[in-house]
Amino acid sequence: MKEFHLTEDQQDCLQELINIAMGQASDQLARYLDTFVYLKVPSIESVAAAELIKSLSQQQDTMAIVSQGFFANEGIRGEALLVYQEKDSGRIADLLGYEPGELSQDEQLIDISSILTTTFLNVFAQQIGNQMSYNAPKLLPSVQNNLSQHLQQMTFSWDLALKVNINYQVTDYSFNCNMILLIPGAAILNIKSVLDRILAEF
Amino acid sequence: MSPSVLICDDSNMARKQVLRSLPEQWKTSVETASNGAEALTILRKNHIDVLFLDLTMPGIDGIGVLQGIQKLNIECDVFVISADIQPEMQSKVKALGAKEFIKKPVKADVLHDYLHQYGLL
Repeated sequence: MKEFHLTEDQQDCLQELINIAMGQASDQLARYLDTFVYLKVPSIESVAAAELIKSLSQQQDTMAIVSQGFFANEGIRGEALLVYQEKDSGRIADLLGYEPGELSQDEQLIDISSILTTTFLNVFAQQIGNQMSYNAPKLLPSVQNNLSQHLQQMTFSWDLALKVNINYQVTDYSFNCNMILLIPGAAILNIKSVLDRILAEF
Repeated sequence: MSPSVLICDDSNMARKQVLRSLPEQWKTSVETASNGAEALTILRKNHIDVLFLDLTMPGIDGIGVLQGIQKLNIECDVFVISADIQPEMQSKVKALGAKEFIKKPVKADVLHDYLHQYGLL
């Protein structure tokens, strides 16, 4: 775990890259929903992936998780999870303006998640001179059983999770959505060296 | 004479990015603040010609600083440098007196163009 720990400068650098990525992701969400999104400073914490998965699986109030894999050059890869709370499900349904015969709420959740995840990661990658590719997003309903099973099916193990708590407050309909980036240990080391390269320019 | 400059951003790296993008002759008289409250304290105490201001900060944010500047009748040219690029936010900061909205990450040529435009360079 210790080798994955970020220095103060690395943390500051990562935070700023994330702020810029989040700003553009929120702008896309605002355009998609034709509304305004209030931004707060996102909190970033790194946690052991096993603990996080365990606590997510035990959370009773999680409505749905949308999971999407990403990979880039320089050995950067991971899985982005967007976590929606049960208490927000009504608001999210209002926000999406679901009408029978249109896209189902599940499909809309996947759409929103994919906009947020891909914009966020594209802008992040662009800033570090990289380019992202993605797997198809997948909705995991009834999270309690599915999350650990879903993650276990993947070919590599998660050592560390970078938890970026983003609070999206949408005018009229506020809901919370946490973005969690699960990143394997080797990719963390690669990200750290990219951060060092950026920091060396200053 | 080079103008007195204040850079306000909660990120150390972002402050350095702005500093690095300033015209060479401006780099001698620069103060920095890492949050809105600090910025307002400096603005009250010292005369600042140009403020480069971030929006999303803990505590008093960029909007709070703009409101404080208006309330205290502080004369200073404010350029907002932010990642919150939503059009509604851009018009909001201009309505609160900011000269321009500059998208993060800041680029020297873009910044210099704006400074020229406002006769500051």
